[in-house]
Formats: sequence, C-alpha cells, structure tokens
Amino acid sequence: MSKLGQVVESVEKYNQFVLDQVKRARTDQKFGRDLLGRWNDIKAKIPTTRAPTGLPLPRLALPEIDEPGEIARFLFGEGLPGEFPFLNGAYREMYLEPIREIESFEKNGGNGRARSPSAPDKKIPQAEEPTRLFSGLMLAEDTNERFHYLTRHQRTHRLSTAFDGPTLYGIDSDADGVFGKIGEGGVAIDTVEDMVRLYDGFDLGSATFSASMTISGPAPIIMAMYIAAAKRRFGDSVVPKLRGTIQADIFKEVQAQNETIFPIEPSLRFLTDMVEFTTREMPRWYPISISGYHIGEAGSTPVQQAAYTLSNGFAYAEMFASRGIPVDQFGPRLSFFLDCGLDVEYIALARVSRRLWAIGMREVFGAGPKAQLYKLHTQTSGRSLIAAEFKNNLTRTAAELMLAYMNATNSCHSNSADEPFTTPSEEWIRLAAHGQAILLEESGIFKHTMNMLSGSPGMKAVERAVEAAILEEFREIERLGGVLAAVEDRYQRSQIQNASHRYEQQINEGIRPIIGLNRYRNGSDDMPEVKLARTPRKKQQLQVDRLTKFKKKNAEKSKRALDKLAAVVESGKNCFPELLEAVEICSLGQITGRLQEVVGRFRPMV
Amino acid sequence: MAAPIRILTAVPICDGHDSAINTINLEFIRHGIEVVYLGYHRSVGDIVRAAIQEDVRAIGISSYNGGHIEFFAEVVAVLRKKGAADIKVFGGGGGTITHEDAATMRRKGVDEIFFAGTSLEEMVKFVHQRYGKPRAKRARAKSPDIELAHQLTEIEDGYVKRKRSTSNAQRSTSKSETRVIGFTGPGGAGKTTLIDELVLRFLNKDRQSRVAILSHDPSVIGEGALLGDRATMINSQNDRVFMRSMATRGQAGGLSPATRDCLALLARSGFDYVIIETVGTGQEAMPFQKNGIVDQTVLVMNPDYGSRLQLQKIVMLDLADIVVVNKSDLQRARTAHAEIEQRLEQNRRSQRLVDTVAKRHRDAGVDKLFGLISGNAKATHRKSK
Repeated sequence: MSKLGQVVESVEKYNQFVLDQVKRARTDQKFGRDLLGRWNDIKAKIPTTRAPTGLPLPRLALPEIDEPGEIARFLFGEGLPGEFPFLNGAYREMYLEPIREIESFEKNGGNGRARSPSAPDKKIPQAEEPTRLFSGLMLAEDTNERFHYLTRHQRTHRLSTAFDGPTLYGIDSDADGVFGKIGEGGVAIDTVEDMVRLYDGFDLGSATFSASMTISGPAPIIMAMYIAAAKRRFGDSVVPKLRGTIQADIFKEVQAQNETIFPIEPSLRFLTDMVEFTTREMPRWYPISISGYHIGEAGSTPVQQAAYTLSNGFAYAEMFASRGIPVDQFGPRLSFFLDCGLDVEYIALARVSRRLWAIGMREVFGAGPKAQLYKLHTQTSGRSLIAAEFKNNLTRTAAELMLAYMNATNSCHSNSADEPFTTPSEEWIRLAAHGQAILLEESGIFKHTMNMLSGSPGMKAVERAVEAAILEEFREIERLGGVLAAVEDRYQRSQIQNASHRYEQQINEGIRPIIGLNRYRNGSDDMPEVKLARTPRKKQQLQVDRLTKFKKKNAEKSKRALDKLAAVVESGKNCFPELLEAVEICSLGQITGRLQEVVGRFRPMV
Repeated sequence: MAAPIRILTAVPICDGHDSAINTINLEFIRHGIEVVYLGYHRSVGDIVRAAIQEDVRAIGISSYNGGHIEFFAEVVAVLRKKGAADIKVFGGGGGTITHEDAATMRRKGVDEIFFAGTSLEEMVKFVHQRYGKPRAKRARAKSPDIELAHQLTEIEDGYVKRKRSTSNAQRSTSKSETRVIGFTGPGGAGKTTLIDELVLRFLNKDRQSRVAILSHDPSVIGEGALLGDRATMINSQNDRVFMRSMATRGQAGGLSPATRDCLALLARSGFDYVIIETVGTGQEAMPFQKNGIVDQTVLVMNPDYGSRLQLQKIVMLDLADIVVVNKSDLQRARTAHAEIEQRLEQNRRSQRLVDTVAKRHRDAGVDKLFGLISGNAKATHRKSK
C-alpha cells in the first residue's frame, strides 16, 4: 500500500478516534469533567472587543455547548483555530484588527474611537495582511513599477509574479517565433540581470518583504536566478533571509497546466534538488506551492481539485522523505494553492483540505505541529469570470473572497474584472485590491471575531460530503498504484478533461446559469472596450537586444558552465549549487536547452 | 457521400491552454469532422508543416496567452510562402482577442475569429459551410510535400466516392531503397511514443534520411475522428518527416480502405523509411506483409495483457518479425518477456524479442530496436534481449 492508502486509513482511524473520545467523555466522568474544565477555561480567556458601533463581541467564536461529548467532538474533531486538526484555521488569530477596548468606548462617550491598549499585549501578534496580488507585464522594469504601485499602501510588501509564455516554457525571448509573446501575460525574464531589475528598490532580505513566483517547469532555474540576483544586491548573507514562494509544482503541470519541459522523472529530480537546498539554506522560503488552482481552472470539480492537490502533496512528501530530508525540515516549507469559485463546495473546501493534510502528515509521516500545517494561498477563480457584461465579475470575485476568508486562507489574490481579456489593467487591479480591503478592513465580518462563520449546519453538511468524496478519490488513485502511476496513466488529466467538458455542456444546456452569458443576456454581443495591457514592439525588441548583449558578453564562459552543469546532472548529484553558478552567465533558454539534451524533453500528454 | 472535412487544430507556442480546444475537438468530431489535433505549445513551423502534410481544409488555432495577432499572421504568411494558401486559418481566444484585434487579423488573412460566448453549434456550422464544399481544382503543387499530400487526399477521397475499390497496388516494379516497417499492437502499448523515439534516431543517423509515417485512428462511416497521434510526437515534427494521419472510416481491423494505396504511394516516394502504424493484434492489422508492401513488422506489446491465455489470442505474435515488450520498467514485464519468449521459441520463425522503455530518454532497448529495423540484415538470431 502506498502512503496515500495509509493516509486514507489514518483519516478513517482518526474519525473513529473522535467518536471514541465523544463516547469516553460521556462515560468516563473524570475525562468529562476535565474536558468541561478545559472548555470553560478557554472560554474565560477569550478577550472581548467592540465593533465601531459599540457592540461587544468575543474575539473568538465558539459553539454554545456545555456537554462533554460535544466538547470532545469539537476539540478533537475540529480543533480550535491554530490547533490540530486545524479545521478552523492554521493559526490562532487571523484577519483580526487590534482589540477595541471597552473602557475607551465608555470613557469617550460612546463614540467608539479605537485606541490600541496602552500596554499592547505582545501575545496577540499583528495579523499579517493576506493580500498578495498577482501581476506581471512587459519587461522587468515595467513589472517593477507595477509592484511598487501595488504595495505603496501596504505595511508588508507581498509580491506575486506572473511570467510571460516564453519564460514559463524555459525559452529565451530571442527564440524562433516567440517575438509576439514577449511580455504578454506576464513579465519577460531571460537572465539574472532581468531578475535584478524586477525586484529593484525592494529589500529582499527584510522581514516585511516576500516574493511569490508563479512558475513551475523551469522553477529551479528561476529560483537560482532569484538567489543570484539577491546576492548581487545584498551579498551572500541575504540568502537565509529570503522570504517567498516559488510554485514549482510538476504534478499539477502534467495534470493540468501543460508547462512541463523535462520528462517527469528528471523534473521531479530537479525539484527535489532545489527543495533539498532551500530547506537547508533558506528556512523562510517555500520552495513549492502545491497547486490545485490550475486543476480547478482546467475544469475539474472542486472535490477533484482538493483531492489531487492533497494527493500530489502527499506524493511530494514521500519523495522528499526518500531523499532523506527530515519531515520537520520540509513539512513547514510546503505551501498550497487553491482557487475559489462559486460552487457550493467552496464553503468548506479549504477547511477540509487543511484537516486532511494535518491528519495525514501527523499519522503517516510523523510530522510535528509546524509540519502539519496546510498553509494556503487562494486565488479567486479566473474561469468563473466571463467576458459578457464583465462588470458582473466584481460581484463574482467579491462572493469568492467571502468564501476564501470563511475558509481562513492565509494569503489571497483577487482577480480583476477584466481577467477574461488581459492581464489586469491598473483601474481594475485597484478595484480587485479594494475588494479585499472592503471585506477585511471595512466590513465587520472578519475583523472582530475569529471563527465568525464556522460551524453552521450547512457548512458541516458540506464538510462531510466533501471529505467523503475526497477520500473516495484517494482510494481510486491508490487502486491505480499511487499518484505517480496515476499521473503516467493520465488518470487525473482525463478526469479533469471530462469534468471540464461536462461543465461546458452544462453551461450550453443552461443547467449552469451564468448571468449575462446564458441567462439574462442583455441582447447585444458587443464586447466592451477594455484598456488592454499589450507590450509595445519597441519593448519586445529591447528585451531581445539586451539578451543578445548578455549572451555575447558571456559567450566564452557560458559554454564551459553549461558543460559543467550537464556533467553534474549526468552524475546524479544534486545539481542546484551548479545551477546557481550557471545562471550568473547563462540565459534561461541556454540552460533549459542544455538540460533537455541531457534528460530529454517532456512528451506532451493530451 | 462527401469525404469528411479534415481540419487541423492546435494551441500556439508558449501556450498550454487546451481546455477549450479539447471541448471544441470533441464537438467537431461529433459532427463528422476529422480533426488532426497537434496539441499545445506548437510553433508556426510545426503547425504549417502538419497542415500541409495532412492536407487539411483549414487550421483552427485556440490562443489564450497573447501574441495572437503576430502568431496567426505568421501562420497565414508561412502557408502562403510555402504555396499552401488554399489552407485557411480561423480561431479564437475567449475574451483575450478583441474585436479590434480580430479585424487586424482578418486583414492579415485569417478567415474568422470566434469571440467569448460563441456557441459550439456556431463553430461547427461555420466549418461545414466554409470548408465543406468540394475542393476547387487544385493549383499545381509547389513542393514535393504538397504534391504528395494532394495525391494522398485524392486516394482517400476516391474511396469515399467509390471511384476506387480495394486494389492490389504494389509498391512499384522497380526496386526501391525505401524500407517499409509496420507497427501494430493493442491500444495503449506505446506505439506512438516508440515510433517518435525511433524517428529521433533515424534523424540523428545522418543529415539527409527522410522518414514517412502513416498512422491510423478509428472512426465510423460518416462520422468524424480524432487523429491525435501527432499531438504526443515531438521528434516527428521535423522537415525530414512526412506524416499523414488517416481515419479508418468504418473499416474494421485498424486500417482505412485507402491504406494500401496510400502506403504503396509512400513506399515509392523516395523516403528512406516508411512507417505504418495501426492498432490491432490480429492478422488484419498488418495484411501487407511478405510479398506485400511491408518489409518488416513490429508488434508492440504492453506487459499488462493479462494471463498467458490471453497471448493465445494474439495472432500477430506468430507473424511479426520483431516483438517489443514496451513499458518494460513495469513489474509485470519480466513475466511478460518470459511468456512471450516461450511463444516465439515455439514458433521457430527467427523472430526477435526486444524490451523497451519508450518513455525513457536514450533508452538502450529502443537503441537496440533501432539497430534491428534500420539494418539491412535479415534476422539471423532467434533471441535477443
């Protein structure tokens, strides 16, 4: 039985354990009393805060129960926010604003002016803003400008980078036939010099800066470029301070996004080389973002998305453990990425995923608390946004944000309403960013009370249904021989395609109403004129010219570096240190080209 | 009855968005269109070359990653340059292609752009109306590839119009240097991957060897077909490789009624190697052996065939010159090898047995297989591993 089968078993066992604890709480008097005592203790310690209108609220919302069995069911089955099995959140406090004191309200004649406590309680940490907006356009300096624009009001600078087509496929801007694609859909990065330009003006080693890079096929090379760029600006000592994420998820590429460039095994080997390096040298960096977003966007059902993401995650855990990396070293460095759409499953999708991950990691991999955490970045669903009457997308995204925060996502990107047309233009990006601020800062839904919306009967019903369906998917993958065997058999891929086809059919047949598209159409098929962000030819040419200069400058040394890299890859040793050297003088395309000669090219799956 | 419309579909280079085109392909097929699907991340050169060789009426491009004005325009320009302006271009990109873009693209020679919200019915209707009329008299072919492609179409369509009947076409009266190799085997054995890997070796052997590939996909009379072998082939998208995908158009046994004639034509067209790929394990899967057009037959087996008893049903095991156990990295492969070896020994026909892992880069088994099929020596040994 592969690890995935063990995970299924462990979840079933844990669920039974919870039931046993409920029974025990009702039959074992001492146990029941202790639980009740613990519960009352927890409740007593919950601070009170006030809404701006003066309404007092607990800082943490708990079910109104006082029966030991139900207490057991909650504490063991769900856990408090920040406690195993983390159903209600990975951390104790998220999204909350500073406490609004009761005294200050009454003293100030009820005008509710907020004042931080005079002796700030150091035990309540400032919640980290979840906003991390995905952007990338034209050349490195243009994206850099956009980065500065997006973060100018934020306390913490949390960037998320989109790369253009050629970069995603490991191809240089001067390659045959890609000219029109330079800077389209993301930033063009060919060399370490581009990387330096991209993050210019940001303090890469600071605790308030983090960079997320959305790239998977050539991820190890791009990671090496980022490190090299950081070292160029800040010296070697910056390396252990670097914060951020690189997507690097090969399984998801093969299953959905189609941006794999080497065959599966070498791709996984390069990934593991990178993870081995970063988990050792860069303790604040997440070297992989195990993604379901693309799986969902390629058309899977929400359950499939969650199930394949989790099972891919467990497969990676198995892989890293086999390489000899301790689970408590790589576990805390794994992050996850899901979309959020409007289907009902999204009410509980991330919650259930977080719980299943914790149980599986603890019981099967022996992970400690920090390695049990399912740290999640959510992006509202792009596929849910449509071109017809596109301003409706503002509403769609707002609803999706609600769902994302209800699931206590750690990090969030909200799509712009012009998503169906282009990478977002400034006007619509602003609105997308404001969407998050309106929900988190302006509205009172999330900023006063943790666990505000959890536990409704409907949510619990969805949780149960979703969990059962995910476990069924696990069993099916297990029957096929595990994740890698299923991937090579095109199992996940064909499931996703079938679901996608069914989704389109349902829209076609009207079973899935899409307002403005197949219901309440406004009669005209005119496309609104949206200001599009397109890369001017001059800029595309500039990128090509810069790249040519770079290659010419390094012509002699680069060949030797590529030979050295090829030799290390052939030898089977960890090639990441050599990559760090190679990126100083070789372009992305030169490196991927050489690597493909050694390990082959990815054979597309259709 | 009219010949089915043949269309090529693809997603441009540096673009992996295949969700839309997958759905569209299925819809086309359901309405009688034969779709040669090239897959995603495909360059202009690959798309044009395939369209010419497959002699399609039009190319449908699905582009969601930008750069579409340049890309579509380049496809049109290269088609014209190569003398294939009769192959039209259409496409779509959801909301990423604006009305303004589309106008520009039409000016540059694109027939039609479908915008977000276009129904599948509309697209099918468009293809039928625009590309369903019988072909006008064809201009003189500007290149050998185009000439060959036109001739293949004539043969195929001739069978539909019942102008031809199954012929006893021979290769030619004169001796030809062309080596014709037939590949067959059950679906899922990995034939396409194996052929693509062999092509890589053919191309690396020297600078001028040319290879032709004739592949088959099943279809019912009057219905469409998904001709998807090209989509997973990377080495075969090359100027020195001529590939033609054929739908079986209702004929049982994994071949089209036109196969024999088409194969005969390819065999006398100056290629160094011609590969014909069919699906099947019975005799009808490779009827052109010995005294026919095929010099050598290769049966590609999946080690997961079931019990030894299942092997009894595989007639090709008695007929193939070479039997390949592909996916030989699977656990089952060792048993499979042993069982098949025993069967070949019983046959006493100097058949060769080779284990391969076609998906593996530089696989030694594939190297060995290549040696067997590219050499001119007849098989002299009974076993090989």
